[in-house]
Amino acid sequence: MIDFHTHPVLIQELAKKYPDYERSSRQVFQIGNNFQPLETFFLQMDVAGITRAVLLPIDCRRARKLGVSSNEQVAELCDKSSRFIGFASVDPLRKGAAKELQNAIEKLGLSGLKLDPALQDFPLDAPRGFEVYEAAEALGIPAVVHTGMSWAPETPLERCHPLTWEHPVRRFPKLNFIFAHFGWPWVWDAIAMSLKYPNVYLDTSCLYYDSPKEFFQFVFSKQVPSTLIERSLRNKIVFGSNYPRVEIKNMVHAVKSLPLTEGCLGKIFVENAERLLARSGPEKKPAPRRR
Amino acid sequence: MIIKLERVKLQTRKSEEAINITPVVEEIVAKSGVHDGLVNVMNTHTSAGLLVTEGIPCLEEDILTHFSRLFPEDEDYHHRRYLDYDGRLGFNADAHLKSVVGGISCCFPIERGKVVRGSRQTIYFMEYDGPLERTYVVQVLGE
Repeated sequence: MIDFHTHPVLIQELAKKYPDYERSSRQVFQIGNNFQPLETFFLQMDVAGITRAVLLPIDCRRARKLGVSSNEQVAELCDKSSRFIGFASVDPLRKGAAKELQNAIEKLGLSGLKLDPALQDFPLDAPRGFEVYEAAEALGIPAVVHTGMSWAPETPLERCHPLTWEHPVRRFPKLNFIFAHFGWPWVWDAIAMSLKYPNVYLDTSCLYYDSPKEFFQFVFSKQVPSTLIERSLRNKIVFGSNYPRVEIKNMVHAVKSLPLTEGCLGKIFVENAERLLARSGPEKKPAPRRR
Repeated sequence: MIIKLERVKLQTRKSEEAINITPVVEEIVAKSGVHDGLVNVMNTHTSAGLLVTEGIPCLEEDILTHFSRLFPEDEDYHHRRYLDYDGRLGFNADAHLKSVVGGISCCFPIERGKVVRGSRQTIYFMEYDGPLERTYVVQVLGE
């Protein structure tokens, strides 16, 4: 099983090595838990049944003075274990961002792009942003993009709405976008995007009140019907926990508590993520049957 | 008068487990140089515990099972809300309540350099919300 959404922000080994790491985790990402040895990360994966995890940095140095872990730190963690799949983050407004992304993929060996317009403070129609999407498309990597409410301080909600991504999604049809957090609370907007566009996926890392199980029971049975996932979105959803804001095991239990078939769960936990990571571009629609 | 305090790190490996820390405590006492006095052991967390019981696997399992019966994971807890100081939601009220009921510390006399405990008394670090790196402190006081 693959966790498509984790942040390496509480790693003791990185906190000891990099002076700004702790300050960034506390002040920019705003998380108060204790720093843990890397071993805890693996054990958290183990108890949840997760074999591999995508590590997401956020390059928000221009906007917040500090980044939320760096591409180099993510690459360093990936060097320590093949269980990690590292993504890169670049600041679309910084000159040379597209080249920086290319280097992160080709030289650091990272596997995808992470963007957060709210925390990184960039408008989605910025021309330099389009250079980054173009580079990502050319590299054949997926892009995890923040949608939905952000807990990070000073992040405007208007930068988090799933529909703000429509222009890039339409302009770069070969670039797969994974909308983080299911776009909550704009779940229907995120779903509409995913239903309409073959290159829009959703990750399950949404938890904003109650327990993971309660939240999922509400969102995926009362807010939207679970049949929608089972029938229409089974190929478009990947499991994401948002660890360490949430323990991975709790999010796994929450997803498994939904009335979904084993086949559908297999796609959410494994198959869809593997397909996205295979650098295959957007899902191809099957050719219409000839009558 | 000797007063020594040691912080001990412990990597737990499961969501819930009982870990026998008696040998660690006895070793700290033995090295402290205290001949007669007290040893206090305290867990520094609120979602883990520390307790004393007979050191056998069936009891370890019973304690964890029945604590979970008392405080089920799926019960209705007020703690399930966003905690702004932590940047995350609190949904481990069951672990906190187990910690409250089971306790977080224990104290034993020291006589002639050894911990005085019943033959079946075993000191356990109780993980209720792991796996995590945890800390407990052992303070030895005496002469």
